[in-house]
Amino acid sequence: MKPQHLLAAGALAAFLCGPAAAATLDLVEPIAAYKIYVSEKLQTLVTDTKAFTSAVKAGDIATAKRLFAPTRMSYEAIEPIAELFGDLDKAIDSRADDYEKAEKSPEFQGFHRLEYGLWAQNSTEGLAPVADKLMADVTTLHQRITDLALPPEKVVGGAAALMEEVAATKISGEEDRYSHTDLWDFKGNFDGSQKIFELVRPLLENSEAAFVKKVADNFDTVDTTLAKYKDGAGYQSYDKLTDGDRKILASAVNTLAEDLSTLRGKLGLN
Amino acid sequence: MMSRSDDPSASRSNRRRQFLIGMSAAATGALAAAPAHAETAPTQRHVTDAPNAHASAQARWPFYGKHQQGITTPRPAAGMVAAFDVIATTPDALEAMFRALSARLAFLTQGGMPPELDPKLPPADSGILGPVIEPDNLTATVSLGNALFADRDWLRPLKPRRLQRMTRFSNDALEARLCHGDLLLQFCANRPDTTIHALRDIVKMMPDTLVLRWKQEGTVPVLPAAAKGRAESARNFLGFHDGSANPDAGDAKLMQRVVWVGEGDDEPRWAVRGSYQAVRIIRNFVERWDRTPLREQEHIFGRRKASGAPFDGRTEFDVPDYARDPDGRVTPLDAHIRLANPRTPSTARNLMLRRPFNYSNGVNKAGQLDMGLLFICYQADLEAGFITVQKRLNGEPLEEYLKPVGGGYFYVLPGAESADDYLGRTLIEAARAAPSPT
Repeated sequence: MKPQHLLAAGALAAFLCGPAAAATLDLVEPIAAYKIYVSEKLQTLVTDTKAFTSAVKAGDIATAKRLFAPTRMSYEAIEPIAELFGDLDKAIDSRADDYEKAEKSPEFQGFHRLEYGLWAQNSTEGLAPVADKLMADVTTLHQRITDLALPPEKVVGGAAALMEEVAATKISGEEDRYSHTDLWDFKGNFDGSQKIFELVRPLLENSEAAFVKKVADNFDTVDTTLAKYKDGAGYQSYDKLTDGDRKILASAVNTLAEDLSTLRGKLGLN
Repeated sequence: MMSRSDDPSASRSNRRRQFLIGMSAAATGALAAAPAHAETAPTQRHVTDAPNAHASAQARWPFYGKHQQGITTPRPAAGMVAAFDVIATTPDALEAMFRALSARLAFLTQGGMPPELDPKLPPADSGILGPVIEPDNLTATVSLGNALFADRDWLRPLKPRRLQRMTRFSNDALEARLCHGDLLLQFCANRPDTTIHALRDIVKMMPDTLVLRWKQEGTVPVLPAAAKGRAESARNFLGFHDGSANPDAGDAKLMQRVVWVGEGDDEPRWAVRGSYQAVRIIRNFVERWDRTPLREQEHIFGRRKASGAPFDGRTEFDVPDYARDPDGRVTPLDAHIRLANPRTPSTARNLMLRRPFNYSNGVNKAGQLDMGLLFICYQADLEAGFITVQKRLNGEPLEEYLKPVGGGYFYVLPGAESADDYLGRTLIEAARAAPSPT
């Protein structure tokens, strides 16, 4: 199984010898800080998922709809780490079009199955087992990641991976296709990516000043653009995103993906 | 006036061979030694002739010149258009985009070695052409859409006068995701790998200013070098020769009149040496076409299918004499070629230079083949050219077998004349010189 494999191979100690040792040593502190960030996000995810799934099970459609997007944000922020466990990521966050029979597939579960029921069917009928399974999967994810030594190349690579996710399948608004709460997910992905960048930034500030500035500027562009769609504690519907702003976001995301793809190499990681 | 100045073409393939040898020589020498601009090269073939099956990967066209490449240069086997949205909103940002784009395209069309980077980093090049990028006859042509001008106050006054957003013709079923764009790149090369390589390079190098909007690739059938006689025009996916009556791109005077915007035209000064480009993705209902009687197919086109000859001629290059056939007894009055080009003195100003490719995309929901024509044409006056001709074609019998679904109108920038120059310079300078709108 993948998790065990990673536990063995991912131990930080394994990276402390060999030619990249110096670079990796510098990363000990940022990685430790990132681990704390991930733990906090996971704690929030567990708490929020509890409230969300309880609302679904209680048949409280309005509350469940209100909690859906904010609950997902902590998951989206740490997605590259969650994706280390492919089985759980699939159970928690797969979409209808991951399956040949789409919404009709019994394998279609997790957040988006609940989203489909709440928005497309405006009902919680038959969703209780899905809610229970989601809660159980999120709890398992929390445990597994708590026990995991985070592989530095996965952590640093995660900054770009989050942007690749947005660029490949999110900018089009297909992630939250029933609820149109995509902008919340964007925010989660960007925050997660920016967190990683900020943690390693001191290691690059001198040697890669132009790179650091360009990346920071693009994160600013994203922040400014998303801020236009702020609505209370969250964001307006994806439908409200103008064509012009979608292009600006797409360009910033593609540029961030391109630039952050060099982050591992710049930090001496393979 | 429509017939090309048909030179005895027994020597054409020879000249072609010499041209390729010359190109190879240029490839090993300094790039500055590249031959004069293609427009004046005596080796010019007709744009729509079927490409040569033995075209060299070393062949290259000069990137710098009065006009852009990829218009009057012969059409190789693979073509692609890719439309982008442009993020740049200020003259400085747009100039930076034009400069970066020109530099990339100069490199890609001339070939060379991408830099070797630390293997811990993503490689500088996709590598799909191998470690050395051979030019492979690649041409890159940059054009601008109506939206680029319309969405920027400071560019609006400089819009070419006939540039407009493509609107629906009576038989169109335009899909928004396949239409328009701020900037269009046309890539043509011997192999589709080369055009794909070029597109991936631009997408990788310029994400901060260009956002890909849509693309369409196409091909034309290659033929072995003609043993004797003139090369055929390539066939389209309806099985007919396409381009038999295309104006001779080797005739510089004719091209100046038909294709290029000149000093005396009522266009902004920056636009001189540019051209209007119409792109249309025209789906063909090939299953239905293949179930249509041959004689009916021929009457719809106005040509023999096997030879391409008009009904009163022997070869595809013979010119039909409509004056002697006023009632359409020989060539029906609504035949495609007759409506497209009635060959009267007054319709001579509707000429355009076509550069089409065939496309084949997959299968649609109904289980029919999604294929057709990636139509591209160039003209000095968009309204007198494509728009007028398409209006004449509205309602033609061929429409039953066609459905235009995408494309757009664009303005081809004047050429960049040297490595110190860049595509779009005249536009940027004009924008800076103009009093800024409030």
